[in-house]
Amino acid sequence: MSTTHEHSHAPIQDEDATSEFNVLETAIRELAVEKGLFSAEDHRRFLEWAESRGPAGGSRLVAKAWVDPGFKQRLLSNGTEACKEVGIDWNDPTGKGTPSDYTYFYVLENTPEVHNVIVCTLCSCYPRPVLGMSPAWYRTPNYRRRMVRQPREVLAEFGLDLPLDVAIRVHDSNQKSRFMVMPMRPDGTEGWGEEQLAAIVTRDTMIGVALPQADWKADRSPAETPRSAGR
Amino acid sequence: MSAIAADVEARRVLALRPEPAERLDSPYTISKDLYTALRHVLHDVGGQPDTPVLYTDPKELDWEMRTYVTCECLAWRGHWNAEERRRRENDLGATQYFGLPYYARWATVAAKMLVDKGLVTPDELSAKLDEVRSRRDGS
Amino acid sequence: MTKFNVGDRVTVRDATSMFHTRTQMYVRGRTGVVVSHRPEWVIPEDEAWGRENGRKEPFYVVRFRQTDLWPSYAGSDVDTLETEESERWLMPAGKEEGQ
Repeated sequence: MSTTHEHSHAPIQDEDATSEFNVLETAIRELAVEKGLFSAEDHRRFLEWAESRGPAGGSRLVAKAWVDPGFKQRLLSNGTEACKEVGIDWNDPTGKGTPSDYTYFYVLENTPEVHNVIVCTLCSCYPRPVLGMSPAWYRTPNYRRRMVRQPREVLAEFGLDLPLDVAIRVHDSNQKSRFMVMPMRPDGTEGWGEEQLAAIVTRDTMIGVALPQADWKADRSPAETPRSAGR
Repeated sequence: MSAIAADVEARRVLALRPEPAERLDSPYTISKDLYTALRHVLHDVGGQPDTPVLYTDPKELDWEMRTYVTCECLAWRGHWNAEERRRRENDLGATQYFGLPYYARWATVAAKMLVDKGLVTPDELSAKLDEVRSRRDGS
Repeated sequence: MTKFNVGDRVTVRDATSMFHTRTQMYVRGRTGVVVSHRPEWVIPEDEAWGRENGRKEPFYVVRFRQTDLWPSYAGSDVDTLETEESERWLMPAGKEEGQ
């Protein structure tokens, strides 16, 4: 700093703390491995599993349920077991499930009378094994505060306006159960194969903030639904 | 002005309202109501008043995925469990709970747990942080 | 052995919860209907302090009418909310605490 400008200071830069969080995580992991708390291989295996999770798993469950009434019944009566039929084992990758998402999976069927939507007001519990990582907005205190009390307003912000005679049923996922919504199969999909059906079952339709559209075109990953107009 | 921008401005205005702010600096005595409010379990936010905000959906950064996995591995190998992690997040207190980004909260409580349980000493943690930082900065 | 059956009307107790709970403020004192049983799990109040072998209890899915949960609920009269509570947090509807 120049001695002729003792009272002028460069503005304090408002740097992103991301790099510091990166340092923190690295430090924790390296110490944990050094101390034998878990192995580098544990971390590698779990990371590989986590990165392999995405909404495609859930989409397959819904599409299969749409074409196969027997599977649909099995899925609704024992979600955890039925997942195995599409190659998803809730016991992965530890053999006894993930510590945060357990092994109690329930699928919520939408009907003409009932529209289901999921929130976890206390933290952001989410069925990672079938849907992958939760959307950032799902984890916000804002969504957690409002979805239980103003569900129709929040759904409207997502572009979903349901008639008053359709019951909105909010599920506050506050214990060990993990949920996924099975949306109704839309008109215009008669005769479609499972893969074609799965492609219109986006992540947001399985949280309950969107409905599958027969004319949905994936200009992005089939897993994401665009935000409603204005966002 | 769009509806969303109007909401953003409304929230900003609310934050500026000249209501008598209650500064808490270890008072000699407090009301029963304040004591009740202070004891509220932080994560229990369902139904609290709030206004619409823009919901965004950025993909997880690498450090966030690794943080999730590190926390899960610590639980997998029996050093804590997920409910304990959540409770420890509440124990951070309101300023850090709402001040830190979501996965930064996870990383913070993982580090604190290690020290709390004597799995790592505070010195070891601090030294390791310095070491990782200098590696990052290339010194 | 579960205390409540599907269809029972239950009220959530407003018991003291120091430091940690998963029984939300917004259901305390509210009455709903048991719609499902969940397995017996260790209660979160024990698990949160590392007592993985703590007290196990039956958990229940309770369904509430939104109009019963919120003053001036602005949605539809048919809207509902479901959430899960452990047995210790529920009492038969219409009873006072301690009965």
